[in-house]
Amino acid sequence: MIQVPLKESEYIVKKGTIIRAKKMTALEKFFEISLAGSEVLDHEPGQFVMISIPGIGEAPISVSSSPTTKRSSFELVVRNSGILTKALHNLEAGDVVGIRGPFGHGFPTNILEGNDLLFVAGGLGIVPLRSLINFVIDNRRDYGKVNILLGCKTPRDMLFGDEVKQWEERLDVNFQCTVDRSDPDWKGNVGLITSLIPGVNLDIARTFAIVVGPPIMYKFVIAELLKKNIPERQILLSLERHMKCGVGKCGHCQIGEHYCCQDGPVYSYDQIKGKHEAL
Amino acid sequence: MEKYVVLKKKDFNDFIAKLALMQTVVAPVKKGKKSFAFQEVTTGKEIALQYIPTILPPKKYFMPQQETIMKFNKAKFEWTPVLEYNEITIFGVHTCDLAGIQCLNMVFTNKPKDINYIVRKDKITIIGFECNAYCDEFASCAAMDNHIPNGGYDLFFTELNDSFIIHVNTLMGEKIIEEISLFSKANDDNLKELEELRTKKREIFKNELNTKHSDLKAVFENSFNSKVWKDIGAKCVACGNCTNVCPTCYCFDIKDEMNLDFNTGSRIRVWDSCQNEDFAKVAGGESFREERANRQKHRYMRKFNYPVDKFSRYFCTGCGRCTRTCMAQIKLKETVNALAEEKK
Amino acid sequence: MKKVKVAFFDFTCCEGCQLQVANMGETLLDVLDLIDVVEFREVMSEKSSTYDVAIVEGSITTHHAIERIKKIRKTAKVLIAFGSCAAIGGINGMKNNFDLTDIREYVYQKDAKHFDTIPTRAVHQVVPVDYFVPGCPVYIPEFVKVLKSALMGIAYNVPDNAVCVECKLNENECMYDKGIACMGPVTRAGCNSWCINNGNICYGCRGIVSNPAEKGQKDIMEKYNISLEWIENKINMYNKPRELGELKTNE
Repeated sequence: MIQVPLKESEYIVKKGTIIRAKKMTALEKFFEISLAGSEVLDHEPGQFVMISIPGIGEAPISVSSSPTTKRSSFELVVRNSGILTKALHNLEAGDVVGIRGPFGHGFPTNILEGNDLLFVAGGLGIVPLRSLINFVIDNRRDYGKVNILLGCKTPRDMLFGDEVKQWEERLDVNFQCTVDRSDPDWKGNVGLITSLIPGVNLDIARTFAIVVGPPIMYKFVIAELLKKNIPERQILLSLERHMKCGVGKCGHCQIGEHYCCQDGPVYSYDQIKGKHEAL
Repeated sequence: MEKYVVLKKKDFNDFIAKLALMQTVVAPVKKGKKSFAFQEVTTGKEIALQYIPTILPPKKYFMPQQETIMKFNKAKFEWTPVLEYNEITIFGVHTCDLAGIQCLNMVFTNKPKDINYIVRKDKITIIGFECNAYCDEFASCAAMDNHIPNGGYDLFFTELNDSFIIHVNTLMGEKIIEEISLFSKANDDNLKELEELRTKKREIFKNELNTKHSDLKAVFENSFNSKVWKDIGAKCVACGNCTNVCPTCYCFDIKDEMNLDFNTGSRIRVWDSCQNEDFAKVAGGESFREERANRQKHRYMRKFNYPVDKFSRYFCTGCGRCTRTCMAQIKLKETVNALAEEKK
Repeated sequence: MKKVKVAFFDFTCCEGCQLQVANMGETLLDVLDLIDVVEFREVMSEKSSTYDVAIVEGSITTHHAIERIKKIRKTAKVLIAFGSCAAIGGINGMKNNFDLTDIREYVYQKDAKHFDTIPTRAVHQVVPVDYFVPGCPVYIPEFVKVLKSALMGIAYNVPDNAVCVECKLNENECMYDKGIACMGPVTRAGCNSWCINNGNICYGCRGIVSNPAEKGQKDIMEKYNISLEWIENKINMYNKPRELGELKTNE
């Protein structure tokens, strides 16, 4: 067997330094990362990166910050759910990780321009959606009405509380939130996120719904949106799969003839509605 | 003009011995009653010329079961992408497996290209070998239109009565013929014999399925909710043999291996199978193909449906390996026929 | 890196797995650069009351053993169940096929009353276990992998797919094609089909896959004319203690 170094490869990782790390909930940890040599990640909202620790492995994580927030760094939220993510939870500011990407098709921000937006985020769905929400807020005059519906299991599971509060306080954003299970301090809505949809006032022809949440949520949210007559083309979803390569080869993220890592993770509902095993 | 040469049968052993001096030669070797495997050989005697498709297809040389793609040094945070390859000649590749290699080529040269695969494939010389009759009842190479050679080799051997006639397809093939001076130019009689053999072959090899080649895609497109999958799912034990032995299954996993110094190590690519329980599992624990029936369906769709959209080609080569290897007796020909029958 | 203190212990077993470690050759020297072996009856006479990692061979078959393994668990930060006896109960589990009194008398005859015995258990059926290295004996490359995982503090999961997967990758002629029944289809991989590579069948020493597709397996047994009884006996040769279920602490 001959082994030679390669100049190029799809698998080369860049050095990323953690400049801020913060535990968010029992399961989620926040990381702000900057690339070596002040390189800009140059991502679109909705794209993901492959993050790795040498010797432990690599995993796909969506970028949570908007490219409009800052250029010199980007933010990720990592749920402790496997060997790599557990190891990531042990890292702090100053530690180094490997970064590949960004990968995939993000949200089509140019197509959304001039339209009303209905964001529906369930659970961890807020993580990738936050990137787009902040992008829209930073370019606020380019978009029509902005509605944000947020759902989480309990008030304690809410991520980005401070930021969410700012969205809530904005006059140019219509914000609503609900929890599945309440606690004594909670004064807001209780119930599934689908319960918020009927009450939103929408101009159907010019509304795009952007939905991100756990796999189980999609079916129910989409049904509600269709009831409101939002055209299938105007419902955008981001699908979760466990990509291993990110370059459309390894097969783990395959949905029909699509490779979610390349063709997705963002799809419009009409692109995938008939597709087997997509939702 | 197409170039054909002839090798006398008595010179075959000499040919392999000389070829082995030029480069490592791998060829089908008998492993058991009905089992064969591509292995390194140095003489022609070791080669089983009449063989049933090997346990693993030649894809093992193109995408090794385990391949280092990066080396790392953790303390220095240095990553070096690497390429692993062997300069080898594969002798005796059947037309079904030539088709398999062509499929893999399409996948790995599709953008973003896989440099490791592309460089490695160019280090491999391919010598095909024609089947003059069926290997066994599990093959469906005629249905998949892979029973007659259709490129993808440097040299292609066809066995005639007392000689081999060889199609020289590339410069690499030409070089071998020139360096090993055992070959003579094919004469009209040789070419006529080849012609007759092919005509006879067209009579022996008949579509093994109940469906026309061009209609297969439609059969699968409309079969997502078929009961056939349920029956297959009940039989399947998810051992993953069918995907490992498939010449066009290319799914993989990427893993890290730390050396005992706990600083250096490698990132490796290993074969994976969509039949494994957690292949399509996501972080939250949901699997998009939890049922064995769905995993089998996915495997078939990846042969007869999805690649047609993407590469305009079926990814089943008709080699019959998945049927031969399946302990649960899931038979590709039966599956396809049952789906087509249902559609009628 | 500070050297980690490692102690080897044996319970009911043949100590063959520890012998595998002694036979590791050069890899052992690399491993010894990382760890400090403080107790290992097979190769040294020293003993130690403190250690970070306990590597335990053997199954739990007496009341005294229960007390001893509990003490080890308390001392060790990491406990590795080493070999089939420790990881799944192993060969000693065959005892559980019989009435305890009968089998004790059969083995020890008139001295039976002097010998305490309980149904054979795997270590994790008595105390929590952090890492499993099944195998009779252990497959050294897997042991090294587990040791590395333990030292890095990351999980190691014993593969949950069948030995057939690895066997196929090694291009062995299938035992069933030779007319010989083999436990490969229901046994957990991770051994690189070691036995079959060397002309033997798989005996199921690594434990049974968690989701063995009953209907499919039955079809296969029918196809090859294997009786349910035969397969049960084969499974029970190494895996009988699994019937006792998970961790029991109230003894």
